[in-house]
Parts: sequence; structure tokens; C-alpha cells
Amino acid sequence: MPETATRPIRILLADDHTVMRNGLRLLLERQPNLEVVGEASDGRETVRLAESVAPDVVVLDIAMPNLNGIEAARQITASRPEAAIVILSMHSDESYVIRALKAGARAYLLKDSAEGDLIAAIHAISEGKSFFSPAISRILVEDYMRQLEQKHVEDTYELLTAREREILQLLAEGKTNKEVAAVLNLSVYTVETHRTHILQKLNLHNVPELILYAVRKGIIT
Amino acid sequence: MGPAEPVAQSRTRLVLLAGFGGLLALMAVGGFDAIQVLRQIQSRNVQIRQVFLTRNRALEHIRSSLYLSGTVVRDYLLDPELAGAADELGRLRTLRSEMASAMDAYGRSLTAGEAEPVQALQAGLTAYWDGLEPALRWSPQQRRRQGYAFVQRVLLPRRAAVLDLADRIAALNEKELNGGDERLEEMFGRFRRRLLVMLAATLSMGLVLAAVAASHILRLERQSAARYQLVMRAQNELKELSARLVKAQEEERRAISRELHDEVGQSLSALLMELGNLAAVVPRNLEPLQRHLESIRKLAESSVQVARNMSLLLRPSMLDDFGLVPALEWQARESSKRTGMAVSVEADEVSDNLPDDHNTCVYRVVQEALHNCARHAQAHSVRIRVRQTSRHILLSIQDDGRGFDARRVRGLGLVGMEERVQHLGGSFQVKSEPGRGTVLEVELPVPKELAAERAPEVQNA
Ligand SMILES: Nc1ncnc2c1ncn2[C@@H]1O[C@H](COP(=O)(O)OP(=O)(O)OP(=O)(O)O)[C@@H](O)[C@H]1O
Ligand SMILES: [Mg+2]
Repeated sequence: MPETATRPIRILLADDHTVMRNGLRLLLERQPNLEVVGEASDGRETVRLAESVAPDVVVLDIAMPNLNGIEAARQITASRPEAAIVILSMHSDESYVIRALKAGARAYLLKDSAEGDLIAAIHAISEGKSFFSPAISRILVEDYMRQLEQKHVEDTYELLTAREREILQLLAEGKTNKEVAAVLNLSVYTVETHRTHILQKLNLHNVPELILYAVRKGIIT
Repeated sequence: MGPAEPVAQSRTRLVLLAGFGGLLALMAVGGFDAIQVLRQIQSRNVQIRQVFLTRNRALEHIRSSLYLSGTVVRDYLLDPELAGAADELGRLRTLRSEMASAMDAYGRSLTAGEAEPVQALQAGLTAYWDGLEPALRWSPQQRRRQGYAFVQRVLLPRRAAVLDLADRIAALNEKELNGGDERLEEMFGRFRRRLLVMLAATLSMGLVLAAVAASHILRLERQSAARYQLVMRAQNELKELSARLVKAQEEERRAISRELHDEVGQSLSALLMELGNLAAVVPRNLEPLQRHLESIRKLAESSVQVARNMSLLLRPSMLDDFGLVPALEWQARESSKRTGMAVSVEADEVSDNLPDDHNTCVYRVVQEALHNCARHAQAHSVRIRVRQTSRHILLSIQDDGRGFDARRVRGLGLVGMEERVQHLGGSFQVKSEPGRGTVLEVELPVPKELAAERAPEVQNA
């Protein structure tokens, strides 16, 4: 569901690194339908601005003074769930990724790949999808493959039915139960049952973990 | 202490040797001397008694011979019809010679005071026999006439005189014996005094020696106590120093890691961004410029990667941002990626706001242990378990490698781990045997109030 061409995507930039922020602004403002509506250099300011300027997308750094990006994401998600959050960080470890997802972020980018990926990520999340830096996906997938190999365990993905796999992908892309039901022409109740089975079979507990799993499996990028 | 010590040591040795040697020699000499004196006293005693008995016997002999001779003479004079008169005379002669030899024996051992009475006795005896002599040559008529009177007037008084002399000599002999006893007593007295002196000398020398030895031992004890304290203090200082060094090193690593990650990494990322912005405004057809921009971008990208890796290897930011478990999980993945071992982390109830020192300690121990597993163990899999109880963090790192003799082998790695753990008051154990893998076990006490104190927070450089 792309936004109307007339209305640009409103973006809030949050990074304590001025050079970074300036570079980002330059990068974003070159795009025709993106608009930077605010800049913040610490976590609290970000939360405040997210309330006042009502951005569609918040580009969040993790390491920021006063309040870190993950906490800021949590608060913004709580107060303005309609704002989509993309984390832009130097950290490549999965512990950051999973925490960011749990805090409500839909996309996770490495700063060194921002230049190539940020635009795509912003478009993806403003459409309700998830997005990850290819570098991050690669790391996660490789780790997962090695674990499977070393432990000689059965790949739990094999336990899923074709329908479940379909639903897994849609959920991981960021669709709600209702949206999935609409796409697959099922009842919301059925989708919910499938979702529960999927989480059980994969030994996962929530959607962020499910998204991380999907990235590891290379189902989404 | 120092170079003066051996000299002092040899001097005290000399003093002790001389002291004990002298004491022993004194005791030996004293004992030997006492035995000698006792033997002297005893032989003297025996001698005195022997002399007394011999003389007494001689006197008794003289006395009895005297009586016998009196009786014989009386019988001879008063009984003129005596059958064996000649025999009687013979007997008398025998008696006289016996008396003379007894007298001779007596006269051989004389003290100064005895000479005169003994000579008197001898003279008395001679006079006695000489007085008898004429009567013995009397005819039976003469004997009948004058016998009785001779017996009464000559024989008995003379015999009485000689007996008197003999009594005097016996008394003298007795006196001599008593005198001998007195001299013995005196000897005993002298011996006792000598013994006392000896005893006093030995005792006092022993006392001096004991005092010297005791003071020396006490001094040694004091010295060794002082030295022990010195060593202990030095050891504690060393431990403190090494802990401070470790802490300083950790701080340094943390600072450099942050700097690399936040400053270098971010700047390079910003550079990449600007490169992108620049590339966007440089016309597509300026081929060489675009190529240069591309190669700069590649360079910056790999530099970011290097900075990120170095930063993580120095000190993973997860440790400070999210606590122990994410950092351990990262390390397990990293180690697994580099070495091919299957490294698993099982964490149970481990809080994400443990004290910084504890996080660092556990993290570094695991790091070092994984290093050993990779380098020495030839392990296929390593199992890291962390558990938190109300008072402790329990950590175990178990590998299925070739093991080693944990009681004998200890390198800087293991010593360093142990030191870290002990600095936080914990215990560190290595359980391993060749061929049976290795288990490291760590138990760290956690202050309760500390465990609940801090909230996790992502910090900024
Ligand atoms: N997990 C293990 N499996 C087999 N052997 C081990 C293991 N850990 C230690 N060792 C043995 O114990 C020795 C001492 O280990 P330690 O870590 O103290 O020193 P190091 O590894 O030799 O040197 P350093 O750690 O200072 O680089 C090692 O050389 C190795 O022989
Ligand atoms: Mg070692």
C-alpha cells in the first residue's frame, strides 16, 4: 500500500553524531518523496519530537546520550505506534537486533550501509514491512547455519506445513493477523491458530523472535 | 639481614657449640672425678677396717697366748709331779715365738703415736718372758718351795702389766679406727663440697646456655615473624598491583573499544554517507572520478569492518549494554566461527545488571578458557553454563578435549583466571585428567544489594 505520491514520508532523524546526521539529511533530501521533519541528538529529545512533529518514520541511532535508541524506540512505539522505526547503528550483533525488534523497530541497518540501504528500508517499513541490512542478514544466517551443522539437530523449519510457511513469511514481513487473513483469504481466528503453532514448532515466543528467525533462515531480508 | 646474616649465623652456631660442648665436658669431668673419689674413699675404708681387724686379731692372739702361758707356767710350778713337764716347756717356747711374730706383725704398720706404747709392750713382753726364764730352770724342790710365791709375786703382776699394755694398745687401735673414720668423713665432706661446686657450675652454665639459646631462638622467631609479615605484605601488594593492572587494562580496553566503535566507526560511516552524497552529484559520465570514489568507498567499508571487529575483540559492547549473557553468546559464536568447535552457552536466571567487575571477570575467564580449548584441548564441543543463585554466580566451562594433569600444569592463563576470581572473593577449580576433557568451575559471590542496584542502560562514549 504505497503512500500517495503527493504526500511525502515524514522522517525524524535521531543521532548524536552531527556529521552523520548531516550526511543522512543530505541523502534523504535528495529523494523526491522523503522529508526530514526533525532532528534530535539524544534519546529524550527524540521521544519528545516524535510526539510533536508526528513523523511517519523515525531513524534511530542506538548509542545516544540520556536515553538510548532502544529505550527511545520502546517509548515511541508505546505512545505513537503508527510511527515506523528504523534502527541505524554501528552494532552488528544479534543481541542488538533482537532487542531493537522487541522494542518495536521494524528495520535494522548498519551505519556503514546506510547510504545504500536506508532509502529502501524507509520505503519498506512505511509499507509495514521489515528490513535488515544485508550484512546483518548474512551474519545471522551464517551463525544459524553453523549452529544447525554443529549440533546436528533437525531444522525445525522442516516441521512447518506449506501454509504455515506462507503465514510465517507474511508475519515476518510485518503484516498483522488481519492483513495476513486478508491476503490468504482466511479467517483471523485461523491465522491466529497457525501463528500459535508456528511459534510452538519453532520454539519462539513472540513476533520479534519470529522475525529474527525468518532473517536467519533467509526467508526475509 | 643481607650479607651480615651468615656471619651472625656462624657466630651463634659457635656460641651454641661451645656452650653445649662445655656443658657436656663439665658434666663428664664431674662424673668421672666423682667416681674416682668414691672409689678412693671406698678402698680407704676397706683398708682402715682391714688394718684394724688384723691388729685386733694380733692383740687377741698376744692376749690369749699370755693367758695360756701364765696357766702353763703356773701348772708347771705348782704341780712338780707333772707328767709331761718337758712338753709344757716346749709349749711355752712355741707360745713365746708365736707372740713374738704377732708382735712383729703389729709393729710393721705403725703410726707415730703408736710406736712408743708398742715398744713398751714389746719390752714388757720381753721382761715377762725373761722374768719367767729362771723359774723354768728350777728343780722340782725349788718349784715346790717357791712356786706359789713366784706365781703370786712375779707371774701374775707381770702378766697383769703386759695385759694392761695390750689394753692400751687396743684402745689406741680403736682410736686409730675412729680417726680413720673421721678422715673418711672428712673426705666425704670434701667430696660433697666438690660435687656441690661441680653441680653449681654445671647448673649455672646450663642456665646461661639456656638463656642464650632461648634469646637466640626468640630473636630468630621475631625475625622470621617480621620476615613473614614482610613477605605477606609484599604478596598482598603484588596481588593488589596485579588486580589494579588488570582493572586498568580493562578500562583501557573499554575506552579503546568505545573509541573505535563510536568515533572511528561512526566517522567512517559518515564518510561513506558523504561519499554516497558526493557520488550522487558527480556526473555519471566522469568515469575516473566515479572509480576513485568507488575504491575509497571500499576502503572505508573494510576499515569500518576492521574497527568493528577490533572493538568487539577488545571488549564487546554487549557486556556493558546488555550484560553478561549476550556477551558470552557473542563470544561463543565468534569462537565457534574461528575454531570450528561447537560452543554452547546455557544461562539460567543470570541477571543483566550484575556488577561490572563480575561481568568482566566471568567474561574474561570464559574468553581465556575458550582460548585454551582452542589451543590445547582439540575439543569438538565446549559447554558454557552460567547460573545465578541468591548469593552466587556459578560458571562452568566444560570441553570434551584431551585434558591435562590439572594438579601439575599451571600457566599464566590459568593463574590469571584464578587471580581474577579470587580478587572478587570467589573460588576457582580446574578438573581435568588426560583423556577426559576439562571442566573449569568458578563460584563468585554476589552482594545481594549490588545485584538489584543498577538498571541496564546503553551507554554512550
Ligand atoms: N582445556 C584444556 N585442555 C587441555 N589442556 C589444557 C586446557 N587448559 C589448559 N591446558 C594445559 O594447561 C597448560 C596451562 O594453561 P594456561 O592457560 O595456564 O597457559 P597457556 O595456555 O599455556 O599459556 P597462556 O594462556 O598464558 O597463553 C596449557 O599449556 C595446556 O597444556
Ligand atoms: Mg591459556
